[in-house]
Amino acid sequence: MTTADRCLIALSFAALVPLYVQLWGRDTQPQEARVTVDGQEVLRVSLFENHRYDVKGPAGVTVVEVADGRVRCVSSPGPRHLCERAGWLSASGDSAVNLPNRVSIEVLGRDRRFDSVSY
Amino acid sequence: MRLRKPLHGLLAMLLACLLAACEKPDPLQTTRILAMGTVIDITTWGVSPRDARAAFEDLQTLFQRWHQEWHAWLDSPLSRANQAFAEGREATLTPDLLTMLEHARAAAHASEGLFNPAIGRLIELWGFHADERPDGPPPSQAAIMELLRKQPSVDDIIVDGDRVRSTNPAVALDFGGLKGYAVDRAIDYLRAHGIQNAIVNAGGNLRAIGSKGGQPWRIGIRNPRGPGVLASIELSGDESVATSGDYERFFEWHGVRYHHILDPRSGFPSIGTTAVTVLAPTAELADIAGKPLMIAGPAKWLELAHRLGITQALRVDESGRVEITPALSARLKWEIEPAPPVEVTAAP
Repeated sequence: MTTADRCLIALSFAALVPLYVQLWGRDTQPQEARVTVDGQEVLRVSLFENHRYDVKGPAGVTVVEVADGRVRCVSSPGPRHLCERAGWLSASGDSAVNLPNRVSIEVLGRDRRFDSVSY
Repeated sequence: MRLRKPLHGLLAMLLACLLAACEKPDPLQTTRILAMGTVIDITTWGVSPRDARAAFEDLQTLFQRWHQEWHAWLDSPLSRANQAFAEGREATLTPDLLTMLEHARAAAHASEGLFNPAIGRLIELWGFHADERPDGPPPSQAAIMELLRKQPSVDDIIVDGDRVRSTNPAVALDFGGLKGYAVDRAIDYLRAHGIQNAIVNAGGNLRAIGSKGGQPWRIGIRNPRGPGVLASIELSGDESVATSGDYERFFEWHGVRYHHILDPRSGFPSIGTTAVTVLAPTAELADIAGKPLMIAGPAKWLELAHRLGITQALRVDESGRVEITPALSARLKWEIEPAPPVEVTAAP
């Protein structure tokens, strides 16, 4: 084994440390949101890449906005605008739904306060 | 790199194992299905992502099928039966619909008609059959009274094998426990496929089985007035929770809020109760019990709970005061500060 080999092995182990922290550490802040149309995932976005997305559904276009660790439904077809009324979503498990357009926006994360909610 | 000694080979294997272990799947797998006019959330614990995904895809297909078979007004065996009732003809129901009819009939008897699955025409008149009812005027008192005079009742339906007919053309079935029934069927499916730790939640009516690796499932109960969760409860083994509330479906007209839980006696939305939460052995029973307990109001709800076999329930009145049965009080944790005014009732 040459010195270069040893360096490579040492570097490989060193590179594992941040991977452990990221994958096995407790993620206190949600990182991602999932957008589905009719149960099919159409978008999985980082909450830290500010952007607007047009999501097409059977009733039209739902506009989804990501900004500074939060996500919201900006506009969506439907008579009552329940999706927009949900406001900014930032905690694990937060969600907004537009039934007419079959669109669901959910914040993903492992650190959920409740496993499910009765409403 | 040439590995000349066994130690080096071992080192390389260890590295490979560690890198492979980086792909640690979350023991909790979740999905969301939009079907039956509601949001269905499914959670599994300790199931591989691949197996969970396969089960979720099957359940998506099942929920869509149930949606088509059990729909009360779009073309389905149920809507065709309702049409046949109106025309005095016979119709055929599927085994699931016959089971729901039987359960609904028992609940209608136990609740002395406060649970009435035959008032589909009244629900349609109010517009609550649609996924989202736009704001607009409520139906006229005269139209409501005309329907009530016809006294649609589940006892008007005559069952002969899988054939049904109604002696009263005003009968239209709209099963209150339909979502709960679907949840129970979904749990049956998961168990039959070896999944023992799961939650199926259809529009807030949920059933939880097993646990999270020995930890109980933590369930929130929505705050009926305000954001977030009112209280929480831990479930393990096999239990169901359903909440009926005046906030679920409603419309406003000239400053008045009309919600979707209709009192079959008045034909108008029930008054006096904001929300009722029920724990029961099956999601169908929890789902069925919520509405008549809301309609029964402060004087009668405990007695009705007893007749429906419910021992764990809470009722929130219009001022935010909570009445709770002793069995539920013993295991409930308030999640709002300050906790609401609470009265622990006698056991139902």
